[in-house]
Amino acid sequence: MLTYDDRLKLMRETKIKHTFEKRTQNGYTDVDDYGTVPITDGYDVEPWYNAMDGRFFGYEGMCENFCRVIDAHPAYVDPMEMLCGRWRDMLENYRGDVNYLPDWIKNKSKLMDRIKGGDGCSRNWNEQRFPYDDLKPLQEKYNIESGIEGNSHLACDYRIGFSLGFGGLLDKIEKYRKINPDKSDFYDAEEKTLLAIVRFIDRHIEKTDELLKTEDRKEIRASLETMKQVCQNIRTGAPKTFHEACQWTAFFICASRIYTRDGAGFQMDTLLYPYYKRDIEAGILDDETAKFLIANLLLIDPHYYQISGVDENDNDMTNHLSYLILEAADSIDIACNLTVRVHKNCDRKFFEKAVYYLLKNKNGWPRFCNDDALCNGYMKNGVDKKTARERIAVGCNWMCVPGKEFPMNDTVKINIAKVMEAALFDMRNEALRSTERLFELFKEHLRIAVDTTAKGVNLHIDHQAEVTPELVMNLMMENTIEQGEDISRCASLYTVGVDGAGLAVVADSFGALQTRVEQEKVLTWDEVYEALDNNFEDERTRLILNSAPKYCHGNTVSDEWAKRLTDCWVESIVNQKMPEGRCLVPGWFSWARTIEYGSKVGATPNGRRKGEPISHGANPNPHFRADGAPTAQSNGIASVQCGYGNTAPLQIEFDPKLAADEKGVEIVGKLILGHFEQGGTLININILDKETILEANKDPDLYPDLVVRVTGFTAYFASLSPKFRQLVVDRFLEGV
Amino acid sequence: MVKGIVTDIQRASFHDGYGIRTTVFLKGCPLSCKWCHNPECISFEKEIMEYPEKCIHCGKCSEGCFSGARVVCGRELTAREVLEEIDEDRSYYGNDGGVTVSGGEPMAQKDFANELIDICREQKISCAMETSLIYFDEKILKKLDFIMADLKIWDSGIHKAYTGVGNEVIKENFKKLNGLNIPIIARTPVIPGVEQGIDEISEFLKGLSNVVRYELLPYHPLGISKAKALKRAVEEFNIPSAEYMEELKKYAYIR
Repeated sequence: MLTYDDRLKLMRETKIKHTFEKRTQNGYTDVDDYGTVPITDGYDVEPWYNAMDGRFFGYEGMCENFCRVIDAHPAYVDPMEMLCGRWRDMLENYRGDVNYLPDWIKNKSKLMDRIKGGDGCSRNWNEQRFPYDDLKPLQEKYNIESGIEGNSHLACDYRIGFSLGFGGLLDKIEKYRKINPDKSDFYDAEEKTLLAIVRFIDRHIEKTDELLKTEDRKEIRASLETMKQVCQNIRTGAPKTFHEACQWTAFFICASRIYTRDGAGFQMDTLLYPYYKRDIEAGILDDETAKFLIANLLLIDPHYYQISGVDENDNDMTNHLSYLILEAADSIDIACNLTVRVHKNCDRKFFEKAVYYLLKNKNGWPRFCNDDALCNGYMKNGVDKKTARERIAVGCNWMCVPGKEFPMNDTVKINIAKVMEAALFDMRNEALRSTERLFELFKEHLRIAVDTTAKGVNLHIDHQAEVTPELVMNLMMENTIEQGEDISRCASLYTVGVDGAGLAVVADSFGALQTRVEQEKVLTWDEVYEALDNNFEDERTRLILNSAPKYCHGNTVSDEWAKRLTDCWVESIVNQKMPEGRCLVPGWFSWARTIEYGSKVGATPNGRRKGEPISHGANPNPHFRADGAPTAQSNGIASVQCGYGNTAPLQIEFDPKLAADEKGVEIVGKLILGHFEQGGTLININILDKETILEANKDPDLYPDLVVRVTGFTAYFASLSPKFRQLVVDRFLEGV
Repeated sequence: MVKGIVTDIQRASFHDGYGIRTTVFLKGCPLSCKWCHNPECISFEKEIMEYPEKCIHCGKCSEGCFSGARVVCGRELTAREVLEEIDEDRSYYGNDGGVTVSGGEPMAQKDFANELIDICREQKISCAMETSLIYFDEKILKKLDFIMADLKIWDSGIHKAYTGVGNEVIKENFKKLNGLNIPIIARTPVIPGVEQGIDEISEFLKGLSNVVRYELLPYHPLGISKAKALKRAVEEFNIPSAEYMEELKKYAYIR
């Protein structure tokens, strides 16, 4: 008889097999694992372009193509699992940036001809109707990721879906359709979307039936019969049991991922706890089964689920299920984006257990966020405490109030290394050159960059509904169905995140100029400009600049510049005027775009050569300190927090050379709490064996289950491109 | 304020002593252990360390080296200046972490070490020392929260052959230190091929009630590149095998 442990082992093996198959089908993918499974033979979608080739927009275009893609998805039922459903493909593959398409699409030449069709303008945005040519020169000048054509960076309130089920949501649509008769486009699209999801469930019921015909193993038969019953119950009904809530979540996730890759999870322990409690009391669930179900859900998708944390009355929210979730994640130990919410009164035993798993498995999970700093910061935007407490970490670096907020987080960025480049250009021929003058010019360019960014953000919010309405996520947002409006038009909160990228490059550049040109006079301004022009033909000049004290060393001029740059960044962002109750919220983050952003920046005065990657998020440049002290990095990043509820994550990878049961938990726990005590907001952490990561970089296939936290997300090391693998290796703290 | 010569201040040290520690390495040591892993801490003077593999051959050594090929080793600092750096990691020390004064032999700069310890105590930062116990100054040592001390070789003649000094005074100081009622972490670097008498050392330490643990640290060759950079003669030893360390495990203990 197969036990849960046997089944988990087999599920894990299947996962590894899928990882390699996906790499063959997709090529290297420098993104989240997402929990997808490989494309099956014969899988085919004929997209419907309602604009020119390569484009579909609006309620009708998005809805029709969603239905086509989800309808093409075969059911995924693995008899080893208790939950079913997986996603494989998404709408973006049919209108997205052709450079980022998976190989299996690139190999379909006819389809590619259609996707590539049109006039070379963005396929994710309807530029014919909503052009922004006036913004493009400045967006390019400052390497602004404008948020235009972004989507899905918000978080659903799963309580809405759990209480209504897909049938209840259909009823809700019918009810409000009558109240808002002029919004039939919206309601038609939402209804069709829901019906497609129900069809998706129905195919899983059929598939389960089919498997039952040949399944002889008693325990697996029982499991498949329960699966079928659960699916039948929730195809239209609201989930009533723990198992049903998990299965309902799995189906919703598949749909929302297929639609726009929605990555936002929810507060898993508190939301699922009532189901857990009821079932335990009714004697229809035990802890082992609950753990298996959670492990299964985590396998289906490494969503950004939260556990623990503090409620609006400052009470710790850790419950028995919080512990089970950690144990479940450990039992399957795959790519996983669980975030443990830490606060000053947190359950210490729980916190230590979370740290224990980080050290035990060395697979990049869990990560940790600081409820206190995030909540207090967010309230500075004029939000009440109850709402601010609900705001959870549901993305790589980003937070959102489920159901209420439209934050566009992680879709809007300014490469401040480009801003500095513009300032350096302006100062070039001035008579009196200095770091102070450079900073003045930097501030002026930043003001222009932020204003340009704001214009892009506003264009996007004004028209997202006509381009990419959030048909799936709308189902679990407030006001949407009630008003017949896309969430982009009816959110309660428009706190739009704008992240700065390249902080360490700019701080170290200012620091190097102040140290080597102004204080020590080792170089002149002309020599620096010449070196930048010729991309450091003279290595000595490069080393003079590069060896100047760096940001995160502690008490250096570059540390001071990082703080000044942060103050100036925050001021520029929060003072930007925005219409209609919208506001911009500052953070520091580059996501995984350090290589791409770096390719657009010439040589910089910190000794970085033209085209080399920019620094990661709020992180220091490599070799910021000989002893690689993680405490120094932690302090530096704590000192550049923007303070309005968005993050400047501490991305840290090191090998403490301590086992979990020695001092490891104590040491890593102190590092985490020490960072948060100083105001840090989010820790994306990799505890790795140095030898393993170096060996894996040489031959990743020998380590098929090695998972690393690339930024906020985790990925299988073997799936990453060699460039990205090297970036992770380069971040590794030396000397610890 | 007295100025000390500091080789390095290492933040986030996890492996020596309790908690997260900042280790302050003082320059200078009267011993010259053949396996020394901090050879830059032997001389009491500032030194230049040379790493020719990093040299870019710019021919401008006299104008300053920025490649890392020539590095000055040793900074003159006051205790207060050291404290500024120590202070950086205060958020991480907790109840058991803090500062470790190490070296070299920190008691060889005892006035500076004393000021540094006082200043940490004033700031309520826990303070420990790593010492060879070649010196003993009760007034200073009793201010410490715990002490990490080496007994490297049992036989004094062999001790002298490998470290340059006999060990009678060290054994005596171990006994005196035991009388101060401060927790002692005793340690022996395990050097294959040297008759260290680890069984006898372990037996001796068991008789000292304040030795809270006895640790055996495998020899590692990290000092060799630094010794080469200092143009010091180096002797390379074998790294003890995992099996050998396992065999010796019976002599180590935690009380």
